[in-house]
Amino acid sequence: MDPVNQIRLRQRRQYTRRFLRNLAVLLSLLAGLWQRVGAADEQSLEYQVKAAFLLNFAKFTEWPSSAFRSADAPLSICILGDDPFDGVLDQMIRGEAINGRKLAVLQIKRQPRPQTCQVLFMGKTQKDIRRTLADLGSGVLTVGEEESFLREGGMITFVIENRRTRFDVNPAAADSAGLKLSSKLLSVARTVKK
Amino acid sequence: MVNRRRSSLWSFRDLPIARKLLITLLATLTAALVLSGAGILIADSLLFRGYLQNDFDTLAQIVADNTTAPLAFNDPRAAAETLAALKARTHLVIACIYRVNGTLFATYRRPDALYGCPSSAAQPPTERAGGDQTISRPILLTGRRIGTLVLRYDLAQIAERRALYGAMVLGMLLASSIIAVLLSSRLRAIIAMPIAQLVNATRAVADTADYGIRVQKLSEDELGSLVDRFNEMLSVIQSRDDHLTTALRDLETALSEAEKARKRFHFMAESMPQKIFTAEPSGNIDYFNQQWTEFTGLSFEQIQNWGWTQFIHPDDLEENIRLWQQSIATGEPFHLQHRFRRADGVYRWHLSRAHAMRDAQGKISMWIGSNTEIHEQKEKEEELRRANDDLQQFAYSASHDLQEPIRNVAVYSEVVARRYSKVLDAEGQKFLGFLTEGGRRLATLVDDLLAYTRAGAVEGLPGTVNAGSVLQQTLATLGEAIRENHAIVTADPLPEVHIGEAHLQQVFQNLIGNALKYRNEDSPRIHISATNQGAAWRFAVEDNGIGIDPQYKEKIFGVFKRLHREQKYGGTGIGLAICQRVVERYGGRIWVDSAPGKGAIFYFTLPHLAPQARSTATDSSAG
Repeated sequence: MDPVNQIRLRQRRQYTRRFLRNLAVLLSLLAGLWQRVGAADEQSLEYQVKAAFLLNFAKFTEWPSSAFRSADAPLSICILGDDPFDGVLDQMIRGEAINGRKLAVLQIKRQPRPQTCQVLFMGKTQKDIRRTLADLGSGVLTVGEEESFLREGGMITFVIENRRTRFDVNPAAADSAGLKLSSKLLSVARTVKK
Repeated sequence: MVNRRRSSLWSFRDLPIARKLLITLLATLTAALVLSGAGILIADSLLFRGYLQNDFDTLAQIVADNTTAPLAFNDPRAAAETLAALKARTHLVIACIYRVNGTLFATYRRPDALYGCPSSAAQPPTERAGGDQTISRPILLTGRRIGTLVLRYDLAQIAERRALYGAMVLGMLLASSIIAVLLSSRLRAIIAMPIAQLVNATRAVADTADYGIRVQKLSEDELGSLVDRFNEMLSVIQSRDDHLTTALRDLETALSEAEKARKRFHFMAESMPQKIFTAEPSGNIDYFNQQWTEFTGLSFEQIQNWGWTQFIHPDDLEENIRLWQQSIATGEPFHLQHRFRRADGVYRWHLSRAHAMRDAQGKISMWIGSNTEIHEQKEKEEELRRANDDLQQFAYSASHDLQEPIRNVAVYSEVVARRYSKVLDAEGQKFLGFLTEGGRRLATLVDDLLAYTRAGAVEGLPGTVNAGSVLQQTLATLGEAIRENHAIVTADPLPEVHIGEAHLQQVFQNLIGNALKYRNEDSPRIHISATNQGAAWRFAVEDNGIGIDPQYKEKIFGVFKRLHREQKYGGTGIGLAICQRVVERYGGRIWVDSAPGKGAIFYFTLPHLAPQARSTATDSSAG
């Protein structure tokens, strides 16, 4: 065996040893992470997904220009009542734009005025949804979290199926509010209300 | 390599035309089809590769567009369903959708695919199927990348198309080959057949030399005109052949005629007593008859061409050669008297003549000559001349010697008549008168005789004299007789002539004297004139006298010939004889044209020829 190969062999052994040591460190770190995640609120993961979906709903929806106050007005996602997203949504919309409009997240306590909100999220804690929806007027995409949300006149509602976040759609409601939902959106919905 | 190609080319060159046509057709077709097939194939491969790429780009765009929602809403099943629809595209091998973080989201795999999607978008596409093409596209939602689509497709379509095109080209090649074979048999009838006919006709003409053969014309194209030209050529050759045959026959006939003529001529020449020769236009003598070889004792070979000069007398040779060359140069007849040496060494006189024979164009074709032996004639002439000379000498000396005693007779008879007339009686005086008269006449007669003999002698070399001035002198001499007779003498302008002045004066004096003498009751009218006859001047002396009976026309020029009694017309009767002698001495002639009572015209000619040359010829004939 020539000296060059001897050196190579020795180097390779050194690399292997170093790799194993690093792997051990990584595994211990991952184990720690897993514990922390498990310990963390499972709800926060769910709302991270819902925040992403909420943003994506806006991306698959077309508003009439009358839904905005002005041509350069931002597209506002309003959260009625309690905010379950814990600031995740604000992080997500940073740097995003839809059809040339900037995005904004608004926390509102009561019924929004016309042309203020283009997306309105009503969480589980929200009461008297039917009335709120009935008084809302056109140009607002309504998103809820309850199975009953669509029956009460909502357009999209999140559902959890096999621990996966999905959604149902009521295109008729969106249609009557002057909104156009992309067929692509409908194609990935769990159910589409007829 | 080069040799083989040349040999294959040569063998192609030697093939029959029909085979050449077939091969050419097939080669052209194959080349055209293969080249166009290959061109189409290459172009199509390039174009189709681009087309495929475009096609799959479009497909990728559609798929990416259709998978935005599944990606956005984290629905791999929906994405997989979308991808599953791609199975209609049989050349798509795999389709992979990756999330924005690179993890695999959804896949499609053709059942027979040899590989699947890499588990990470960062992983390079597998290299196992080298011909497969990869398209990678970002999946965008509102300008933001939410994932990546990777498509891989194979290029089996290109191979399929290649196979299809190849099969088409092969099929067309096969079909066109069949057409080419069919066409070539047709072409054979159209092109090769007429050529074969021409070849056969050429061979037949060459074998049989029958120029009546004609080739049938099958078309109006170049081959047709070739056949026409060939037929024209044959007819030209045919007519030439006919002409040639005729000309050959004519030539043979002419040659045999010429041969016959030559034989006839030679036979004639051999049978003649004279010596005969022929010469080429250049003067080379190419024939002597037998009389020659017998006479000279030399063979033909010895005397042909210029060999004859050896038997010519040395004194004659120079002139002989000069005259012969002059004749050859000018074509004038050759004429000479000269001496040939006989076999026994004796020279004999011959008269040689040669004339040029000319062809239709006037060109000299040969000389024909004859040589007549004139030796004895020549000797006789010589004797005669000597006798004549003697006679003349005698006549001259006789008349000269007679002058003195006759003058004495005349003088003394006059003396007696003057001094002794008283002594003599009447009868004595009468006899004395007869004596005186006789003496006077005798003196005149002797004078005339002397003049006559002198007229034959040449007085040196005569130059030219003006006949007009000679006539004037003559008229002056005759002046008294002219006045007594009241004669009128007129003359035209007269030329210069070659003659001794005294001789011409003798002629004029005798002729004009006769005209004055033989007059009738009318006063004499005499006219002298001269006309140019080309070779000589002809003089005429015309009068209105008593004329001459035609029966005496010749007689009057004899010596002492008189037609009248002396009592009526005086004279010795020698004048015209003197005229004739003078004129003939200079090569001329004298004659008379007359009738009784109608006057007379005496003519005499004097040649233009210089007496010098004539005298030379005369000398040689005399010598």
